[in-house]
Amino acid sequence: MVQDKSVIKGIVLSDLKNMGGKYVANWRVFKPEINLDECIACGLCTTYCPEAAIDPREDKKPVIDYRFCKGCGVCANECPKTAIAMKKEDEE
Amino acid sequence: MPGNKAIAHGARLARVEVVPAFPITPQTTIIEYISDFVADGKMKTEYIHTEGEHSCMAAALGASMTGARTFTATCSQGLAYMHEIVAQATSYRAPIVMAVANRTLGWYWSLGPDYSDIMPEMNLGWLVNFVETNQECLDMMLMNYKIAEDYRVLLPTMLSLDGFFLSYSQERVYMPDQEKVDAWLPPYKAPYSLDPTESDSWPAAGIPTQLHTTYRKIHEEVMEDSKKVIAEVDASFAKTFGRSYGGMVEKYRCDDADSLLVTMGSMTTAARRAVDKLRKEGENIGLLKLRFLRPFPNEELIELAEQVDSIGVVDRVVMHGTGGGMAFQDVKSTLYNTGIKVPVQNFIAGLGGEDIPIDDLYAMGKKTLSARTVRPVNPVHYIEHKFPGMPAPQKTNSSTCMHPGSDGCAGCGASIIARTLLNTLGEKTIVVNPPNCSGVNYGQSVKTPWVLANFAAGAAFQTGVYRALKAKGKERQVYTTSYAGDGGTYDIGLQALSGAAERGESIIWLCYDNEAYMNTGIQRSGSTPQFAATSTTPVGSVWKGKSQRRKNMLMIMAAHRIPYIATASLAYIPDLKRKIQKAMEVTRNGEGLAYLQVHQPCTTGWYYDPSKTVEIGRLAVQTGAWPIAEIDHGEFKLNIKPKELKPVKEYLDPQRRFRHLDTELVEIIQGHIQDDWDSYLSMDAQGKLPWY
Repeated sequence: MVQDKSVIKGIVLSDLKNMGGKYVANWRVFKPEINLDECIACGLCTTYCPEAAIDPREDKKPVIDYRFCKGCGVCANECPKTAIAMKKEDEE
Repeated sequence: MPGNKAIAHGARLARVEVVPAFPITPQTTIIEYISDFVADGKMKTEYIHTEGEHSCMAAALGASMTGARTFTATCSQGLAYMHEIVAQATSYRAPIVMAVANRTLGWYWSLGPDYSDIMPEMNLGWLVNFVETNQECLDMMLMNYKIAEDYRVLLPTMLSLDGFFLSYSQERVYMPDQEKVDAWLPPYKAPYSLDPTESDSWPAAGIPTQLHTTYRKIHEEVMEDSKKVIAEVDASFAKTFGRSYGGMVEKYRCDDADSLLVTMGSMTTAARRAVDKLRKEGENIGLLKLRFLRPFPNEELIELAEQVDSIGVVDRVVMHGTGGGMAFQDVKSTLYNTGIKVPVQNFIAGLGGEDIPIDDLYAMGKKTLSARTVRPVNPVHYIEHKFPGMPAPQKTNSSTCMHPGSDGCAGCGASIIARTLLNTLGEKTIVVNPPNCSGVNYGQSVKTPWVLANFAAGAAFQTGVYRALKAKGKERQVYTTSYAGDGGTYDIGLQALSGAAERGESIIWLCYDNEAYMNTGIQRSGSTPQFAATSTTPVGSVWKGKSQRRKNMLMIMAAHRIPYIATASLAYIPDLKRKIQKAMEVTRNGEGLAYLQVHQPCTTGWYYDPSKTVEIGRLAVQTGAWPIAEIDHGEFKLNIKPKELKPVKEYLDPQRRFRHLDTELVEIIQGHIQDDWDSYLSMDAQGKLPWY
């Protein structure tokens, strides 16, 4: 019996090592902007971001990786301090 | 109109009496259009929202045998799941017409069409009809009933339309008058109905072994006889409605042809243009469109084969192990004993739903023509195209068990639950995924193995994974969890889940419950709440959304006496996390199945603003629409007990799936919620469930 991986033909693999984030910024109509002065670092936006696009910085305050933000507005809706504003993309 | 709508109108015009339905892309809109007709009183039919394709076909067979004109539709994995009943429908001689909106079966998954789904069903004794255009979809719906219900035939019929190319593409379709159709297609009168008020006899389930060969032979005779009926019906349709398709086959520019291209389905339209182009260049090539593949049009083929010097067969499927396609083998075997030695080539093209453009068909025609003089060494050609490659994944520093960004809808709650689940379980986890949105959207962005299982037996797949780990002594090192939707839990997946629970498999079953089949486009499930509008329970003059109340899965699972059962919500993450940890504990200890049912508001399916996903989830809990409870080794506990429930209106109002509700319907919902809440409170006070 040959059991050397090099002889295998025709299997397409899902490979954990080759996975990564998916660029979705071009979906966005509204862009969330965090007012860090009002932020109390509660972590709710990180927890609830459907795209896992918000990570805490060292001071626990959040930072949005806009490459992965679709602008759904869940973070702004959940922020207890209403410290996140949704701004229309082309108004910048 | 799209092909699927033409099929639905065909069913309406044929006055189909029973329609069992279950969604699967790209067939789904057929049963959605029909549900629209029924909801609006435009079609009088018994519409059955079945819980899976196996049941769907069984219901179709039962209905047809009881004398009703019956229609259903499916494709791909759904058709395969029906398989055993498809076989049974043959000897029961039930003239069901089933639309198959072709889609790749199994293999590497695709939603696009090829004939790998219908190929395994080909030889079971059904008539199998392929159509080219949306007009042909509608016309063949009517013709197929007239053929199938003819007592010389009495056979079930598959109407095969290419997914996407026909199912979703718009074409002009002429709609015949209802009166004309009624006069041409009288109601079905079953010769041997199961109904004892109609008949004392019915088709037998079994015959003595010695008769099998004889009856198989007779079945072949019936299939042969049906060819005559097909021709008759085509002629009579032409006379009444003015359109003719040629019966078993359609010949295009064959009269003086010395080469022949053989096609079926929607690719034929492009093949016509390729033949035109070759004709313009002076080549005498013709086109044979196979309209029925079962019975196989051998006479028509032989007649043309005698005339031509080369044949090229285009196949949208491979019969693995034979080296070629489906029609290719049929054409060759038809000719072998005739003494006609014309070279037959095979072109395998358009697999997985890839387009077969005119240029490709032109090249196939050229190759077929060249075989007139030089017999090809290798008769099978695979028409391959260059793949430009996938976009590279983005690098991130994300510390969670999921990569950021996905194909999910903006504001999707399923990823919040998946992330919480995987972050809690850790990277040594295998996720078994019965098909749902999350498999499509998040399966490729997690940092653990996430394997697509089957819809109807996710828990069995998971059992296999768990037992293999156990066989290798690793069941305490690696967790297995499902990430199932409500369809894969409440409906089609229930049998396997119940089996795994009863056997005491120590696996985690997580159902993220968004109260409908969202992956196929918001069809009703066993979890859809009463009065919710879905695409198969639309609001019309007759229907007011789903008429039944949802299943109580919590109590169904509790009846299995499994160690841990809980409901949770994406709006209460710490509670969800604690419950996942509890599930880890009981499965690690080998105590049995842990069942988690997590509420997931769906912005697309419930029609609310995407930013409100968590807010709606919170309202569901605060109004009592989604009670948060757990049953820990039989101990019932309501985990979140608001002092006073908010009126359910606050939860319903932001969701457009409930916008048709009047005060009376809201009162009914409120009443049910109060009843459920009171019974949960009394169970909470009682503590241990008595049967544990």
